[in-house]
Amino acid sequence: MSKKIEKITILPGINKFGKKENFEKIDIKKGEVIAIVGHTGAGKSQLLYDIERLAQKDTKSKRKILVNNEIPEKELRFNPKRKLIASLAQSMNFLTDISVKDFLQLHLESRGKKAKPGLIKEVIEEANKITGEAISPEANLLNLSGGQSRALMISDVANISISPIILIDEIENAGIKKEQAIKVLVEEGKIILIVTHDPSLALNTNKRIIIKDGGIVKILNTTLKEKGIAYYLNWIESYSLGIREKIRKGQEIKDIKIYCEPTKFKEKI
Amino acid sequence: MKFIIFAGTPGSGKTSIIKYIIQELKNDFKLYFAKFDCLRTSDDEIISKKYNIPTVKKLAGELCPDHYTALEIPKLIKENQDKDIIILETAGLCLRCSPYIKEGLGINVLDITSGSPERYGPILTDADVVAVSKGDLISQAEREIFRAEILKANSKTKIVETNGLTGEGAIDITEHIKSSSDIGNKKLTLKHSMPSALCGYCYGNKIIDEKEEQKRATMGKELKNLIPGLNCGKCGYRTCNEFIRDVLDKKIKASKCPYLKNK
Repeated sequence: MSKKIEKITILPGINKFGKKENFEKIDIKKGEVIAIVGHTGAGKSQLLYDIERLAQKDTKSKRKILVNNEIPEKELRFNPKRKLIASLAQSMNFLTDISVKDFLQLHLESRGKKAKPGLIKEVIEEANKITGEAISPEANLLNLSGGQSRALMISDVANISISPIILIDEIENAGIKKEQAIKVLVEEGKIILIVTHDPSLALNTNKRIIIKDGGIVKILNTTLKEKGIAYYLNWIESYSLGIREKIRKGQEIKDIKIYCEPTKFKEKI
Repeated sequence: MKFIIFAGTPGSGKTSIIKYIIQELKNDFKLYFAKFDCLRTSDDEIISKKYNIPTVKKLAGELCPDHYTALEIPKLIKENQDKDIIILETAGLCLRCSPYIKEGLGINVLDITSGSPERYGPILTDADVVAVSKGDLISQAEREIFRAEILKANSKTKIVETNGLTGEGAIDITEHIKSSSDIGNKKLTLKHSMPSALCGYCYGNKIIDEKEEQKRATMGKELKNLIPGLNCGKCGYRTCNEFIRDVLDKKIKASKCPYLKNK
């Protein structure tokens, strides 16, 4: 990569009725996490697509995407070797019959990179922070569970793929620790856009873009209070997961704590 | 006129992505779509109805579909001098073969779930553009590995990731089509010679046996020398080869060929 990506800018296009979108521009800076929300069929994936192909008024939405305030050169748009964007789609399967560690090695080689010693181990360790069930380096790729595959892929995108922009389509259905996943990605200084229906995830971002009828209708900066609420929602979820774990272990559920733990909540904000 | 050939294994998603490409191009260019297949297809009718462009169906039947395609290309061009772009979809069976022509644009639709690109022959190694399909089914890392393997097999090709369901990538392919050169009035040349097909089995031999095969091949060649090879259709067959097979199978008399009658 010749140039570092500092930010991308979305310039308005039209919604599905042909009406111009009502905003001047949306800047997304390095290290930011943006949620894209809206009803099913509202046009969330179209926005991801526009960004993925660095649209220049040549897609259905007529949006324009700038990179570092400039129109990206054609090379960046059409040469997949220089593609800036990695996407994690909802359906994600492996097909190669190979061990986890050999697979990561193969991926490194395909990128023309020399492996820094220990990198593969790091990728697996980081994946294991994201998934509940630890992945062994010797495990066959095809035998990984859905959560393990996804965790491995997220760690791989963070550590091996060079793409500075990551598009994620609905991470919540995957059985992984999503906050940890986002943290892993953000630490690498990437731009992250997540299509999501998950309230705690949507509120745990820098901004959220609201989409309706194929157009961007609103851009909200996440408030501090909302981040606190996200933390609260998260707590509820992990509490519920704890109960799930107990049920799986065959325990009896005798009572439920339905209040938040205020001390921890305060610490966070 | 531009001549675009789409090749790829059955089910790789050629027709799906072609539909989006036709949608993108049809308002600005006069298009013609030729669908080649082996036995049956209705894609030509579906496309004609949906996009209101002229199409044709070409079924190879008893012939090798790629040989048949090459035989039909001159006719297609002759009959469509008023068109801007001819889009041809091959039956796409053989990894060894590919009827790409040097003067046109050859596009290989490559199904990412179909295994390593390493095993593909000219269908991939001679393609000007590789349209990778079904990438949404597998992981980002595998997509990147796949891309590297394609470039290992064909370093000059341009890779486009496509999705036949959403039309993703269709615009990129139309860019390649628009910037490809016109075929002009030159004689067209195949990028790669096709595998030869000269054995007794080509003449319809069914018994797996060396002697039977050789016998049939000799008989076939003898008969072939006697007829003019015009593919005139007067015998009721589209090609002389199909006629010869049935003569050797004793399904029809050799005298049905008007040129053999007097010999």
